[in-house]
Amino acid sequence: MKFQPAAILGALALAAAGAQAHHSTSGIYQDGVELELKGTVKEWRFINPHPSLKLEVKDDKGETHTWDVSYGGSAVAHLKRRGYDANTFKPGDVIVVKGHPTLLTTAYGLLIEGGNPTRADGTPYP
Amino acid sequence: MKKSDFTLQRTILATCTAMILGTAGQAQAAGNEVPALSGVWQFGQCVDGTRMQCLILTEDDSRLTERAKAFRDAMDEFAQPKYDCGPMSIPHMWTDPYAHQIEQFDDRIVFTYGKDDVVRTAWLPNSNHPKPRKNEYSYFGDSRARYENGALIVETTHFTFDPQGLNADFRLPSSTQKKVVERYTKEGDDLVLEVTTTDTFFLKEPWTYKVRSKADPEPLALPWDCDPANAQDILTLMAPKFPNDPPIVRLPAE
Repeated sequence: MKFQPAAILGALALAAAGAQAHHSTSGIYQDGVELELKGTVKEWRFINPHPSLKLEVKDDKGETHTWDVSYGGSAVAHLKRRGYDANTFKPGDVIVVKGHPTLLTTAYGLLIEGGNPTRADGTPYP
Repeated sequence: MKKSDFTLQRTILATCTAMILGTAGQAQAAGNEVPALSGVWQFGQCVDGTRMQCLILTEDDSRLTERAKAFRDAMDEFAQPKYDCGPMSIPHMWTDPYAHQIEQFDDRIVFTYGKDDVVRTAWLPNSNHPKPRKNEYSYFGDSRARYENGALIVETTHFTFDPQGLNADFRLPSSTQKKVVERYTKEGDDLVLEVTTTDTFFLKEPWTYKVRSKADPEPLALPWDCDPANAQDILTLMAPKFPNDPPIVRLPAE
């Protein structure tokens, strides 16, 4: 299984009931599993239907993979209310993000639910 | 009969007539009362206290026909119009958490939604807007509005077949026989919307829900300006349903 990179700080099995995904993402992410990734921002696009965050993460073999970090069903309007904008993340920023990985084990996707990524010093975005 | 008696009788008759007519007039006024609905309204919450659960037709909902479930199982997620920035139709539109705007005019009601750049027009009886021909169907159908007992009623028919017409997340379709009835009323400062959907092909019985919205002080965040590549991003995280078929080559976006 690919979810064993050194940059993944931890994996935690959660009670499924406590991690119910947004209905539009059901069947894509593992509701009962949570991962924490540390990586470098490759791209942040503040667009609709869903703002897109691409994160480069090194695995335990030293290979770099681009992760698609999703805010689920949130659109630009929703994230604006939470304080996000087009400049929240910049290429090269080192961030830590926690979420649910994809069911498809050949894909690199992570669903954030409710929380926010943090900077390398631990302060939360935005 | 004395002249004074006759005058008295006429006076009583006139008074009674005026009272009857006055009452009828008030009833007529109440029947045609136009509720003040214009404005921007927040995403509606279910009046039954389930937040948004009442809005969602689940994939195994008991109201679905066997035909609907068979379509759900056969439909390729990758072919859903939403991945090409296709808008949500009604009634699914209201399940997405966005504000919407209502504008009341003499001959029409205009609904603008905070998602998908969708604008719908519902025509009032005095509009003389032509009714659709019998072979004329459209994605949002033909909407006719009227005021009735202090409510705005909008009836929509003549929808095209829509593979995401009842729910875009579970591949629940709707047919050309879909009919959506919206009933808008005011309760205090709140907007209450009751939606009833029928579709003889895909629903065993009418599906009704009721939501309450607060006025939104913010204007709609428009344009939506959907990015097709972004809409398709999530497909890279899913296994294809028909891996032996030729690869999907989408038409170029504008």
